Amino acid sequence: MSDYKIGEFEEIVMYTVGILHGNAYGVTIKDEIENRVNRKVSIGALQVTLRRLEKKGLLSSDQGETEDSRRGRPKLFFSLTATGKNVLVNIRENRNQLWDALPKVVIDLR
Amino acid sequence: MMNQTNPPKLPWYFLKWFCKREYLPDVEGDLLQYYDRRVKDLGIRKANWMFTRDVLLLFRPGMIRSINESQKLRIMDLLLHSFKVSFRNFNKYRASFLINLLGLSTGLACVLLIFLWVQDELSIDQFHANGDNLYQLLENVDQGGGMITRTTTAGPTSPGLMEDFPEIELAVSTTWDESASLFLGEKSVATFGMYAHEGFFKLFSWEITSGNPNQLLTDPSSIVLSEKVAKSLFGDENPIGKTIEYQGEESLKVTGVFKDIPKKSTIQFEFIIPFSNFWNNNEWSQNWYNTAFSTYILFKEGADIDAFNEKVNDYVREKTEGNASHRSPFVASFGERYLNSKYENGVIAGGRIEYVQLFSAIALFILLIACINFMNLSTARASRRLKEIGVKKTVGARRRSLIIQFLSESILLMAISMVIALLIVWLLLPQFNFITDKTLALAFSTELITGIFIILFVAGLLAGSYPAFYLSKFKPVAVLKGALNTSTGEAWARKGLVTLQFTLSIVLIVSVIVVFEQIQYTQNENLGYDKGNVLIMNVTGGLADSLKYSTFLSEVSKIPNVVAASGSNHDMTGHNGGTYGIFWPGKDPNDRTEFERMFCKQGFIEMMDIEIVEGRSFTEDFMTDWGKIIFNEAAITYMGLEDPIGTKVTMFNQEVEIVGVAKDFHFNSFHEEVKPAFFYLEDDDTWYIMAKLTAGAEKETILALEDLHQQMNPGFDLTYRFLDDDYQELYEAENRVSALSSYFATIAVIISCLGLFGLSSFSLERRSKEIGIRKVLGSSEFSLSQRLVFDLTKMVFIAVLIGLPISYLIADSWLQSFAFRIQLEIWFFAAAGFITLAIALLTVGYQAVKAAKLNPVQFLKDE
Repeated sequence: MSDYKIGEFEEIVMYTVGILHGNAYGVTIKDEIENRVNRKVSIGALQVTLRRLEKKGLLSSDQGETEDSRRGRPKLFFSLTATGKNVLVNIRENRNQLWDALPKVVIDLR
Repeated sequence: MMNQTNPPKLPWYFLKWFCKREYLPDVEGDLLQYYDRRVKDLGIRKANWMFTRDVLLLFRPGMIRSINESQKLRIMDLLLHSFKVSFRNFNKYRASFLINLLGLSTGLACVLLIFLWVQDELSIDQFHANGDNLYQLLENVDQGGGMITRTTTAGPTSPGLMEDFPEIELAVSTTWDESASLFLGEKSVATFGMYAHEGFFKLFSWEITSGNPNQLLTDPSSIVLSEKVAKSLFGDENPIGKTIEYQGEESLKVTGVFKDIPKKSTIQFEFIIPFSNFWNNNEWSQNWYNTAFSTYILFKEGADIDAFNEKVNDYVREKTEGNASHRSPFVASFGERYLNSKYENGVIAGGRIEYVQLFSAIALFILLIACINFMNLSTARASRRLKEIGVKKTVGARRRSLIIQFLSESILLMAISMVIALLIVWLLLPQFNFITDKTLALAFSTELITGIFIILFVAGLLAGSYPAFYLSKFKPVAVLKGALNTSTGEAWARKGLVTLQFTLSIVLIVSVIVVFEQIQYTQNENLGYDKGNVLIMNVTGGLADSLKYSTFLSEVSKIPNVVAASGSNHDMTGHNGGTYGIFWPGKDPNDRTEFERMFCKQGFIEMMDIEIVEGRSFTEDFMTDWGKIIFNEAAITYMGLEDPIGTKVTMFNQEVEIVGVAKDFHFNSFHEEVKPAFFYLEDDDTWYIMAKLTAGAEKETILALEDLHQQMNPGFDLTYRFLDDDYQELYEAENRVSALSSYFATIAVIISCLGLFGLSSFSLERRSKEIGIRKVLGSSEFSLSQRLVFDLTKMVFIAVLIGLPISYLIADSWLQSFAFRIQLEIWFFAAAGFITLAIALLTVGYQAVKAAKLNPVQFLKDE
């Protein structure tokens, strides 16, 4: 089922796109990640990741209207594709399964 | 809107340059949005800095556009596409493709052959390491009437120069090259060589293969051999230190061996003997009055040649205390001598360089003619291709890509032609070498490859530029609507180019006729003597003894098929030797004019069939006629003697009596006037034996002569040649030019006609409607084809009118170089004009008649 191997940062980006739901484009995604996860994100890293995910078919993009705030450049809105959502669900399930299998002792003893 | 600050330009441009096109708007949007926010929150400087950092962080693999996307591949695609379209076009218009291919490949083959030849000519004598400082000493000799320039200098020249001029590093003199036989026991070899000063192997870069280079020519009784001679005498043995017999009479020790002299050298020899050997044995060479030796000088680096020439001008006068006042030495660069050897009145006046220039011009002409064909045919074909261009432009082709298409088409065609041309050159090279007496090879040297590429691109661009820039210019709407007015200017240009082609062809044809006629004239004109079937044999070995000589001579005349035999010191072709030691009553003491000196045996004048116009020839009795002299008419005229017979003149301080006057005969080439000459009976020094043979029986007679020679002069091979061949050599250059130019002219005419053929077939195709209408209106086939032919050959008529005067001027100036020359006759020009017109008419006529015969319905039904 899980043909999609995605990295940790990719996972974060996908969650963020989901969270922003309809308002996910470069600037908002970067801001959101920086606020929630508390880590610096460079535009370069973000852009490359977005395009890669798009190529993998996990995200889709949609060109918006041109906006003055971007000096005439259109916003490129990203959203999760069906496959993208499946992958997130899948990851979630896998993690839960692993978490559940963890003996309580291991964490308590720490 | 708020006053906006812009982010720093440099990183922004950088971003635009590297970023993938489809990502750019969004990425820029993000960056600008952040930038504006940061300017507000953090200030311009911080914002600028962060912008730059962000751009640099964006410069990563996922963002950078790939090379696939950049221009390189697009040009490759374009070229591939152009080639595909080109091939389709070639295939579609096979006739014009073949005409172009044929014309261009023969044209290029000619150009390549000439290129190889010129390159070879320019490389002659250029291989000496000292090249830049290497000079030859020449002498301007004032002959009273005019100045002649000679390469011969006096025996003591080199040592004298080295002593008196500090700027000279080294000077050597050599003798002329002479034939000799070398013996090693029973073995012998007939070869040729000369005497030279010690520095000979240092001054020039002859390659020494064995022997001590510093002691090659120190011992007067030594000899240095070429590899070839050493091998035929010694085989694989080491010859150094061995002794050989020179001419069977003098023992010489071999001190060295040099590599065979390359053909690229004008100085040729197979052995060298120290000059001191010659000097010791020939007392006459030890004074400053003789002129027999070639002198070469190596100057020190940076020597002032002009200053030297000024100083050396009086050198001979100083050395002879003013006696030899007519000789003024000067130096000329040795490397340039081969191409610039002609002097007129002491001033340099060309030489072989003229032929180099001539053939370069011919090469250019032919290439031009072939390129014009291509230009004409492609512009003429434009109408056929205009639709293609129109459609391409409508779907968005830019002009640039159309230009690239046409240029690549012409370069592709040129490349195909070049391959064929190389094949032709490869096939023709043996024949070409035979005609030019060269050993050219199609070696792919850097020069040749560069040459090929330069020709390829220059010709490709030249031929392709007009169609490329012209055709791509049209507006698509006009083209597709068919409302294109083919401008009259364009048609004029095409006609002008055809006229130019034929003008060039006519000039070439006339030149060929004139050169050929002049050569014929020199071959057939009465020389004043009969050069047919005269064999010239060298006196070698024991034959030098005068008693043996006369026995041999009388034995020779007994051989069947020998008509007559005699001896002479003059081979009848060119200047052999002369003297100004003849004095007659009333001679100006400063007159240094040389009389050609012909020492001979009895019967020589009769054998050569030279006419005696006054007095008598020599009799058979040596004693009665010794001390008698016979002059030619030129000499008598020069001396101004009214009644020459019986007049006494002084020669070499000895009184001699004139017994006869010989009619002038041409012993020099027809380039020169007949010079004064005299015959004198001489016992010694008649080093040629000449025999007149019956025509047709040369082979067996020569065998008999060889047998006789073997008996009487054992060990020496008979060396002989025919006077006819010697005579041909006087006109060697002209013969070559004649042969080559006739080939090249033929090719030029063929290429021009190919072009005319293509152009007329095209023009008839375009005028098919006009022809149809004319026929419908009742024009007869005859008058119609007449009209078409006239229209099409009009350009050729004009070319004839322009070409003939030009060719007259060229032919006239070439003939000026001959003292004896043909008159330029009307028929030369008439023939050239007629040939050109006839060929053009044939080319066009067939097509015109074919077009006039067609049924008009075929032309008129479409539309």
